[in-house]
Amino acid sequence: MGFQLEGVGLAHPGGAQVLHDICLHVRQGEQVALIGPSGAGKTTLLNLLATALAPSSGSATVLDQPLGRATPTRALRARIGMVHQAPPLPPRQRVVTAVLAGRLGRWPAWKALASLLYPLDMAGARDALARVQLQDKLFARCDQLSGGQLQRVGVARVLYQEPALLLADEPVSALDPTLAQASVALLVQQAQRSGATLVASLHAVDLALAAFPRVVGLRGGRIAFDLPAEQVSPAQLQALYAQAATAPQAAAPAAAAPASPSTGYGACG
Amino acid sequence: MRLTRPAPATAPPARLRDPAARGRVTALLAAACLLWPLLQAAGWNPAALLAADNLRVVGGFARQFLPPASDGAFLALLWQAALQTLAMATAGLALACVLALPLAYWVSGAARERVALNPLARALLTLLRGVPELVWALLFVRVFGLGPAAGVLALGLTYGGMLAKVYAEILESVDAAPARALRLAGASRPAALLYGLLPQAARELASYTVYRWECALRASVVMGFVGAGGLGQLMDQSMKMLNGGEACTIVLAFVLLVLLADALSAVLQRALAAGWRSACLAAAAAGALGASLALLEIDWAALLQPSALRAMVEFAAGFAPPDTSASWLAQVARGMWETLAISVLGTLLAALLGLALALPLGRLWRVPADLLLNLLRAVPELVWATFTALAVGLGPFAGALALALHTAGVLGRLYAQALRNAPPAPAHALRLAGSGRALAFVYGTLALAARQLLAYTLYRWEMNIRMAAVLGFVGAGGLGQLLYVQLSLFGHARAGTVIAAMLLLCVLVDWASAWLRRRMG
Repeated sequence: MGFQLEGVGLAHPGGAQVLHDICLHVRQGEQVALIGPSGAGKTTLLNLLATALAPSSGSATVLDQPLGRATPTRALRARIGMVHQAPPLPPRQRVVTAVLAGRLGRWPAWKALASLLYPLDMAGARDALARVQLQDKLFARCDQLSGGQLQRVGVARVLYQEPALLLADEPVSALDPTLAQASVALLVQQAQRSGATLVASLHAVDLALAAFPRVVGLRGGRIAFDLPAEQVSPAQLQALYAQAATAPQAAAPAAAAPASPSTGYGACG
Repeated sequence: MRLTRPAPATAPPARLRDPAARGRVTALLAAACLLWPLLQAAGWNPAALLAADNLRVVGGFARQFLPPASDGAFLALLWQAALQTLAMATAGLALACVLALPLAYWVSGAARERVALNPLARALLTLLRGVPELVWALLFVRVFGLGPAAGVLALGLTYGGMLAKVYAEILESVDAAPARALRLAGASRPAALLYGLLPQAARELASYTVYRWECALRASVVMGFVGAGGLGQLMDQSMKMLNGGEACTIVLAFVLLVLLADALSAVLQRALAAGWRSACLAAAAAGALGASLALLEIDWAALLQPSALRAMVEFAAGFAPPDTSASWLAQVARGMWETLAISVLGTLLAALLGLALALPLGRLWRVPADLLLNLLRAVPELVWATFTALAVGLGPFAGALALALHTAGVLGRLYAQALRNAPPAPAHALRLAGSGRALAFVYGTLALAARQLLAYTLYRWEMNIRMAAVLGFVGAGGLGQLLYVQLSLFGHARAGTVIAAMLLLCVLVDWASAWLRRRMG
């Protein structure tokens, strides 16, 4: 379980190489924060783990299933949940329906269609919403909620999905700092409770260091470091976020031994 | 409708019930209770499509379709008819504009100091719009004789009413502050309109007029079915002689003409958006109008002679008072119910077929589906009705099918557009969570677009009730059939009742559609 990436590279059909030689081993139940400047490849890496993109080189195994050219199975995808930066919920859909949609991967078609007429697992949806303190919004419509509430509905949907791998792409960038902290804490706590592996990309470095035991720094599509949170040094962070113009020089100390950038978890031999 | 699942220990003990469930059940039951008798009234009988006799007739007719008629004499006739159709639409719309401008000025609240309700003006507009153009044409043919003059006048009246209403609404919807400032500075209402409102509204007014021209062309294609010239007349003759080859050529001409109108309208709309000089547009419009009038050779002097006007007044007076005897009223009420049934069944079938053809199933599906949608849309309802009457026999079911076929083309195109424009993120996210394509479409894309699809369908229903009212002219039941028969028998008092019933039905459906749209909003 968990996932293993061995020398994974990813090039878009246009030709731009977005990920280079990514080596990352994560055990089931681990919690990992992805940090790095914009354009570092965080979202691409998450999309790869979500099976939306296939690696163009190297080998990737997610939840014991190798990712290849073939379309990933629905059964695998049903075990991977993703919290999106902008919650992808139709505005006029009711919250209960939006949450129940988390299990479309496991429900038979008749159940999914019947549930549109009469919600079939209202108790389940309410329990998921209760974990994000939104149980009173069960029958509200999505366009009646604030941005922060909508984000929590997105989280509730993923909790209801009960995935073994929980991915989060900038889950809190639309929220104010207090709410962001609470939401990240909630994700970590819920992942812990269900034994799911959690990988979240975050803009807020302090949040990543405070809430996650393991932090991976990405820069230019490569892993700059992969360390326990308490071992990440200010110098490494400075190098990670240094301006592009000064990048090669600034990154030089961190990349002194480019073959094994990660010190704490050195996954690839 | 209670959910009897035991509540989890952590949750409050209240049993969950969906607050929307009762409303849904009620709405479903009400719909079923209404729909069942409507289906009966519309003569719902899909088995007739497969009846051996009907299949033989359709098969025999379809065999004649190929090859299309292509002899020189017929093609020359067709060319003349096509030009006449085009000219009728242009001249009709010009007349509509001439009528609409003073009416809009009269009825609109724009640049008025006080809100004025003009019940008289509003009633006049409702009368003009509520009576379908084909009914006007049928009446005018009886006064002015066969030929395009009746078609031009009919288009002018109906479209004059529509344009006036929309012009008035556009003028009311733009920012009123400039006009108010002018009025306060002592300007008259016309001056305030011209200097304060027209600059803001001009483009939308022009754009809507172009759109209406496109509609007028579709309408004038079928004017010939009541004897008002153009392609329709040719089609009527060919169908009566069951000449499949000619019918096929004429249908092809319809399709070409409608696609041409689409293209020309798109070009004009783009030109408007690009800010063409209004002088250029006005010159083009005047040129088109001049050519149309020259081609139609309508003897306006004869139309406006005192004797002709007297004949018209006498003819109109024949309808009043309408026949209100109980037996006739009962028959008209049945006709209204049948017309309503045709419009509802036709719109429902069209929504289903249109949605099926609008589904985003990839390029391999979209290309033939778009082709089919264009074909369905290009053939007017009345022409479809002449075909469906062969397939299932005369009667309301043929009318409903004809309505469904044409409307499916219109709705399918709009649906496909709405589904294409819906953001892809929700469906994509569901796919990544393991959902199948169909369910992701239903929970993601359809949930986004549903309201718009519904609004399109209801708007189309408002148009279809008007069309359902005239489908009877070619034997497809409803009020149209009653009217056609009574006019043939010179039963003008009875015809007056039918026209009043059409008006009432149109107003009722407009009201019901607006109410439903508000409810779903």
